[in-house]
Amino acid sequence: MSEVAESLASRLAELSGTGRVRTDPKSLAAYEVDGRAPSAALLPGSVSEVAEILRFASAERLAVIPIGGRTHMDIGMPPQRYDLALDVSAMKQVLAYEPRDLTLGVEPGITYAELDRSLRKEGQFLPLAPSFAERATLGGIVAAAADTPLRYAHGTAKDLLLGIEFVTGEGVISKSGGRVVKNVTGYDLHKLLIGSLGTLAVITRLNFRTFPLPPGRRMFVAAFADLSGALTLGRAIMKSPLQLRVVDLVNPRAAGLFTAYSGSILGRDSWLAVVEAAGHEKVLERHARDLASLSQDAQATEFVALDEDHRERLFGCLCDFSPIAFGATPAATVFRIAAIFSAIPALLEDTRKLAECHALDCAILIRALSVVYIALLPPANPEVYPELASCSRKLMTLCVKSGVAPMIERCPLEIKNALGIWPPPGTEREITQRLKHVFDPHCILSPGRFRGGI
Amino acid sequence: MQQTIIRELGKLVGNSGVLSSAEDLLLYEYDGSVEEARPDAIAFPRRKQEVVEIVRLANRYDLSIVGRGAGTGLSGGALARQGGIVLAFSRMNHILEIDAENQRALVEPGVVNLDLSRATEKYGLYFAPDPSSQKSCTIGGNVSENSGGPHTLAYGVTSNHVTGLELVLPDATVVQVGGRNMETPGYDLAGLVIGSEGTFALVTEITVRLLRLPEEVRTLLAIYESLEDATDSVVDITARGIIPAACEMLDGWTLRAVEAYVHAGFPLDSAAVLLMEVEGVREAAETQADEIIEVCRRHKAREVRRARDARERALLWKGRKEAFGAVGRVSPSYYVLDGVIPRTKLTPTLLRVEEISKHCGLVIGNIFHAGDGNLHPLILFDHRDPAQFRRARAAGEEIMQLCVEMGGTLTGEHGVGMEKNELMPLMFTETDLDLMRKVRAAFNPVGRLNPGKVLPLGKGCGETRLQPFPLSAGGNL
Repeated sequence: MSEVAESLASRLAELSGTGRVRTDPKSLAAYEVDGRAPSAALLPGSVSEVAEILRFASAERLAVIPIGGRTHMDIGMPPQRYDLALDVSAMKQVLAYEPRDLTLGVEPGITYAELDRSLRKEGQFLPLAPSFAERATLGGIVAAAADTPLRYAHGTAKDLLLGIEFVTGEGVISKSGGRVVKNVTGYDLHKLLIGSLGTLAVITRLNFRTFPLPPGRRMFVAAFADLSGALTLGRAIMKSPLQLRVVDLVNPRAAGLFTAYSGSILGRDSWLAVVEAAGHEKVLERHARDLASLSQDAQATEFVALDEDHRERLFGCLCDFSPIAFGATPAATVFRIAAIFSAIPALLEDTRKLAECHALDCAILIRALSVVYIALLPPANPEVYPELASCSRKLMTLCVKSGVAPMIERCPLEIKNALGIWPPPGTEREITQRLKHVFDPHCILSPGRFRGGI
Repeated sequence: MQQTIIRELGKLVGNSGVLSSAEDLLLYEYDGSVEEARPDAIAFPRRKQEVVEIVRLANRYDLSIVGRGAGTGLSGGALARQGGIVLAFSRMNHILEIDAENQRALVEPGVVNLDLSRATEKYGLYFAPDPSSQKSCTIGGNVSENSGGPHTLAYGVTSNHVTGLELVLPDATVVQVGGRNMETPGYDLAGLVIGSEGTFALVTEITVRLLRLPEEVRTLLAIYESLEDATDSVVDITARGIIPAACEMLDGWTLRAVEAYVHAGFPLDSAAVLLMEVEGVREAAETQADEIIEVCRRHKAREVRRARDARERALLWKGRKEAFGAVGRVSPSYYVLDGVIPRTKLTPTLLRVEEISKHCGLVIGNIFHAGDGNLHPLILFDHRDPAQFRRARAAGEEIMQLCVEMGGTLTGEHGVGMEKNELMPLMFTETDLDLMRKVRAAFNPVGRLNPGKVLPLGKGCGETRLQPFPLSAGGNL
């Protein structure tokens, strides 16, 4: 250990207790972000410890990256500096849960799966089902604006988060929002922290609204010969009164990737529409009838209802699409592109042409008919980096020009460094920078990882 | 205000677009709250560029600017607390585009809430936030206050239905935040600005998300002999996993006042009624209505009525939405409160409100969004009697304190404005408030926009002359 690291370790041990500091290379390797390891990792046990650490880091101008289950650390640019990993996984208590109020307060380090198990005992759930649910923490899910197939019915963290307690880059403990389901008291600072990738503050408590588990649910899969059939069904669903909780469309390549996890679902080379309804049996029957009929009208080649086992596995694949696609080949670029429905056909047609030009394959998931995930997959040959980089660059440019909202969620480090993962900032650039300055004036929190170089 | 400024305003927006006579200013001294503050002039811009020019003029003459929609707000948000220009958006009231395929609409801030739903009805779509004032309140006002309404129990408040905003900042720059897409990479600035009560920016365009009209709506009226049975029903309904689209309560006093005006068919001899709505696909609405009826009966509801048709439904809702007007017939003035508590605390809270009413010697009616614990106690008083007004204010503060003690919050949908800004320390520490001040200063560094709102003044009115944000601050991030 270097001299600096050693003196750092002893000061940190004073702050957090010796059991909560890691400085050995093996432990630190686990905290690498884009190939860069910190000098120390700290595991605070309380908000006051988080504040102590950040006051220290701020005074010493040490760069800190807040870390939870390490499942979404691929997202963001490589850090400009990285001295301390602030691992909140020891802060994993349920602080308040009143099932009859359908509200919940948790520490940031609790995993989604663990929380889900406690909620289920009360017949409730939090509709944030992320990728890597066993390891993903609630703090991380919110900070990374992790996506979920359940957003079609329940929206995202923005729609479920009631309030937050956090510590700013100067070590100041603060909060916004509250614990009740309706509240407009004060400014909604918590909205800023959603998806901020730890660049504004470290989240130390989250309050959510919970939902009753539906009395029943049923997942259906319709297969189509091409994209246009799947989109026809999507459009028909949007125009129908049906109340679905999942409406995801996957292309044949993505469905192929899922096969390894979920077993073969339907015919190969098909676009699949995966939809789920929830409610009483009568409601499920109605959805089954209407969906079968709408699928038929959209020229579906097959339409099935899944049993619970297949449903669980396919739902897991939908949650994990981005990491599954990223891991499918030695190098891949996964775009997350928010788009209005009518922009999707042109976006996918342009993508198809681009990918063809660069001899790349595409795995595609259209989430909740509003967010398109495109994984550019090269053949198993590492020499294709230039092709992958060039195609990724063109796709980013095309997205920006056509008014959809792209970012690269996962890609090789070389591509991050060469291209950047964010679209160029717009007219909001200056106000964004001022806000960063308010929360983190010395730029010690996840420096350089966010849009606009923040 | 100097005549030169009025003349300059006239050049910007036309002479018919400026008001400055004493009698005109008097009309803009009020909103829906009990607060008063007189502006120096009212300007009615017709387009974004005029808003920009008015902001430049305000900067030249060092004047405050307060955005105003229909003036229906209930916390003094649209009042010019420190004088200056009220920028009224009533002429920027165009629906610029309805994109039915993508379920979006682009509107100017002065569009009336209900007008948008009426315009989109032919596509089977509507704008979900439905404040009681929806016949007159504007979408710009809804954005400022992050307004709710009865149906937000199931569908969320304004921020859940807005995807993009065009802003004019106090330095006259125009900034786009969000857009038509469901998400935008970067900080959620639209989420931050919605509900900032006009203290961050003026909003000149709004992109909203439209929802599909439900196939079936079932409206129920449950009638109770005791308030407790009604509140227990509410808790039990949600605990059983039923989330109605709306769940409203009127206590005995209020429903009698309403019935005398609206003739909605509310029983005059009951202690409370619950007005509930379930909607969705036919099968879901039917099942949920049956379940709710069962729960209400279990909690000793004397009767549960179903609205038989659209006319009956409309009448029941008229009783709810025009309740404040009905109360206006029986009392010279009333003070509408807005606080939220966890819904499991409804019964003890209402009992305490009753005690406060006895103690202060004023009638307090209760009509509220029971499903999400959003109370609206109505304190009746005579504004001509200053002692009564003081007692009404004191009772209001006591009830707000009670809401916070119960684990709730100071406002669920009416905003803080100038009514509750001094109560903010009940919920937030000085450190919390200081950070909020700095966030406001990032947008509104010298307090030009809507001064004296949201945050406590104290500390020598720090907000009115905060240190301007160094422009270079962002450069070295």
